[in-house]
Amino acid sequence: MKINDIITFYDKILIIMIIIASLLMLFAPFYYFQQGDSENLYLIIESNGKEVKRFPLENTFSKPVVFEVAGPIGIHKIEAYQGKVRVKEAPDDDPLKICEKTGWIEQQGPIIICVPNKIGIWIESSDAEVDGMSW
Amino acid sequence: MIRTRKIVIIGLLVGLGLIMHFVETMLPLTAVVPGAKLGLANIVSLIGIVLFGFSGGLQIVLLRIIIGSLLAGTFMTINFYLSLSGGLLSFFMMYFVYEFFQDKFSLIGVSVIGAVTHNIGQIVIAYLIIENAAVFYYLPFLTLLAVPTGISVGLVSFFTVSYLPTSLTGR
Repeated sequence: MKINDIITFYDKILIIMIIIASLLMLFAPFYYFQQGDSENLYLIIESNGKEVKRFPLENTFSKPVVFEVAGPIGIHKIEAYQGKVRVKEAPDDDPLKICEKTGWIEQQGPIIICVPNKIGIWIESSDAEVDGMSW
Repeated sequence: MIRTRKIVIIGLLVGLGLIMHFVETMLPLTAVVPGAKLGLANIVSLIGIVLFGFSGGLQIVLLRIIIGSLLAGTFMTINFYLSLSGGLLSFFMMYFVYEFFQDKFSLIGVSVIGAVTHNIGQIVIAYLIIENAAVFYYLPFLTLLAVPTGISVGLVSFFTVSYLPTSLTGR
């Protein structure tokens, strides 16, 4: 028995429509979803134990945003660009400049710390902790 | 059909569905697209709809999902709600299509509809839980995969039903 004896005309229409609809959904909103992936990520800057800045990373895709955060030994320049965050410039009095050497961070997890200036920088998501694999 | 006989067959189908469910968790299709499955357990739901109609089919779907999640240790977790929503939505859609459009769609079409609506139900519930529209990004991948898996599940169900004795199918 061949598959053509079983499958009906309406089955074929249904299958073709599903494929077309899937391809449309796949390609049409590609640009939107690429940004949507990071729409709920926030840059958090903490200074001296207090949160001083909470900034949505979706606003950083077109052009870099630079924050200046003051601490006991000077001013840190923190740059956010294309969903990534780094310390652009540490103050001259910072002996090791570890925060500058940490480089870019772009996900939840890594954290940039500047101990002398009591500054912590990290990325936080407002989503629940469900990852793709759990379903 | 005699009541005892119906209970026995429903129990057999639930057991078969559970085994198929665990066999397909061993296949690494989830690594390709998160949430993608072969939907082998859908074979049992389809046969249940063909043999027993609404109430028997619903019993099979519900029992399979509840017992399966109890065995896997995911009862009342997010996983459970995802498979429950997908399973129920696909069951209602498959029953509707099978009951009222039987002359238009074969079991293959019914099964494809079941596979696609299963994905839609899961994605909608996933969106309600994590409240991030990015989950809809997975939907086209899942529905594309649902076409071949749905066709194969429909073929298997078709041949299984055609081999069942007439005392069961009533035709």
